[in-house]
Amino acid sequence: MKKNMQVKKAPALKGALAATVAIAALAISAAASAQTAGTWAVGVGYNNVSPTASTDPISPPSLPNSTTKVSSNGQPIAVVDYMVTDHFSLEFGIGTPYKHKMSGDGALAGVGQLGTFEQLPPTLFAQYRFLDANSPLRPYVGIGLTYAIFRDEKGSGTLTAVTDPGGAPATFKIDNTWAPTPEVGLTYAFNKKWYGDVRVSKTYLDPTVHINPTNQTTKAPLNPISSALVIGYRF
Amino acid sequence: MRQYKLAAAVAAAAILAGCGGGSSSGGNQSTKIQFSSQVSFGDSLSDVGTYAVGTVAALHGGKYTVNTLTPSAQNWTELMAASLGLPAPCPAQTGLSGMAADGFSVGVVNHAGCYGYGQGGARVTLPYGPGNANLDPSLGGSPVLGQLTVPVLTQIQNHLKAVGGKFSGNEIVFVLAGANDVFVQLATLNANATAAGTTAVNNLVGARVQADVAAGTCTPTDAQASNCVPQAEGELWQASLGSAAAVQAAVGAQVQTDVKAGTCTPTDALASNCVPQAETELVTAYLTAQGTAAGNAYAGGAGATAAVTALGQAGGELAAYVNQLILANGAKYVVVVNIPDIGTTPFGNSVGAATVGLIDTMVATFNLQVQNGLAGNPNVLLVDFNTQSHVNTQNPAQVGLTNVTTPACNLSTSVNLLGSSLTCTTANTIPGDVSHYAFADSVHPTPYGYSLLAKYVATQMATRGWL
Repeated sequence: MKKNMQVKKAPALKGALAATVAIAALAISAAASAQTAGTWAVGVGYNNVSPTASTDPISPPSLPNSTTKVSSNGQPIAVVDYMVTDHFSLEFGIGTPYKHKMSGDGALAGVGQLGTFEQLPPTLFAQYRFLDANSPLRPYVGIGLTYAIFRDEKGSGTLTAVTDPGGAPATFKIDNTWAPTPEVGLTYAFNKKWYGDVRVSKTYLDPTVHINPTNQTTKAPLNPISSALVIGYRF
Repeated sequence: MRQYKLAAAVAAAAILAGCGGGSSSGGNQSTKIQFSSQVSFGDSLSDVGTYAVGTVAALHGGKYTVNTLTPSAQNWTELMAASLGLPAPCPAQTGLSGMAADGFSVGVVNHAGCYGYGQGGARVTLPYGPGNANLDPSLGGSPVLGQLTVPVLTQIQNHLKAVGGKFSGNEIVFVLAGANDVFVQLATLNANATAAGTTAVNNLVGARVQADVAAGTCTPTDAQASNCVPQAEGELWQASLGSAAAVQAAVGAQVQTDVKAGTCTPTDALASNCVPQAETELVTAYLTAQGTAAGNAYAGGAGATAAVTALGQAGGELAAYVNQLILANGAKYVVVVNIPDIGTTPFGNSVGAATVGLIDTMVATFNLQVQNGLAGNPNVLLVDFNTQSHVNTQNPAQVGLTNVTTPACNLSTSVNLLGSSLTCTTANTIPGDVSHYAFADSVHPTPYGYSLLAKYVATQMATRGWL
């Protein structure tokens, strides 16, 4: 517990990794060997979040078809798994905040970066794992519930200029949003303890973006695809 | 088992804790290029207060929009300066050369360090534009107001004098001109067409008078044979109808019309007292139609060609000034905004489809010359305000406009001395919320209209990497 207290104070990125190590350290007494019912596992990896669509046109007053696009970003992630049965598992995934750039698109194509924001999408998955619990290679499907948290939205001189030239600095805020996240994945057990995991998921994410002081809004059906590679350890 | 869950929860909490704070903010507001100053050449659309003196100032006017005092209503050049982090532009020159009795004669003063050269009424090359005392009032001149209308050519020369002949290369230069050339050419065409119509009628009547005198059917009493004119006019009208029966039918119908309209009160059953009036009206209508036909023929032919040619020349000249006087003297960032869509302004809506067609051709010809003269130059950014202003009037809701046809200003001279946006303030607009109207008067934008132009210019500058 003492270790965990220290972890709590650590900055986000180091915190995630340190926490995982802490969990591993606590797990020495675990008895499970394969993905059988009651098995706990933790993993760390890298996840790339890649939006698949531009935002909708920004509401009036704006040039017709003023849209924006959002850049991809990759960050470390940590997952915790629990095998409820030999086939059904629950998994909680979280990572350090993704740092996205928002640029002009549509009528605003070419204006460059309009702003930056961070996104944190903690997700709880319910998964079904195929094949035998002791099979080294186990494909799986899952459905997750994501709560996308948006923070640190920063505008720019360009955002101000294209929304309200000469006006007060423009800001934007993205609403935190629940979203479903289906996934497919494959685990490969290197041995009884260590395994590798690749997965692809798509988050049906469509938050509302508010731009101020011009009081404009747009929907951002980013529907990002996440591609992750995870190394895990079973207890 | 419990330990693991706890550990996982703590791990999540640790990561979430790292996300604390981080509210939305304006971020870095600096632009990609920090310009040293803003220099603006042009007409009323870019005028930051050249005529805000004398009575215009007393009326709290001075810009071609819905004027306000604090904060002062801003046109697009002022919005751009603010957007670029530059000081508010000030007029390079102030003054008026109109009637002293009306407070429109105020000494011309040049303001050192002020690079807002745009002046209401300014043309590209020619010195006398709309509102200038030296331009004939029939062409838009005004001896009363006496706008200075220093043309863009002279504006650029004045700036070069002020800065020692060279641009530093770090200025942002804005150029927007040409609309006043359209207005003066249109008025010239109108005046010439009227003259052509008058000449045609005079020639027609004169020839008939000569024929009558030669035939002895009219004896002239003076050298001009002016006594023979009414007879000649009547004969021309009758000849146009072809037969005595047709003439009689036409007169009969006109008498009936007059009696019905109450413009003639019959004194007998045949209303014979109303015949001379009806004949006079018919002759006048016939001659007017002849004059109008001749005027229209001129306006649609030689006149239109002359007007379009003049605009092509003005556009070529503007491109040449940008090339030879601005770029050749070291400017590196020159934004040239073309003539907006005049055809969809309240002025355009008032003149009829044929005239709008001509205006469109004049504007397109000017804009094409500017485009041809400057396209491809990396130091020039051409902003297609023409298309954008058209899009705005066709998609008013999308750009936040509530009205694109009615001037926001009450232009009645009883409440607006000049009947122009120059003396329009929030105190003499029409009733209701006009804050999102497109036009202040028949052609000039409201402050909101200017913000749309600024937004478009800013977007284009950002695309070029200049903002």
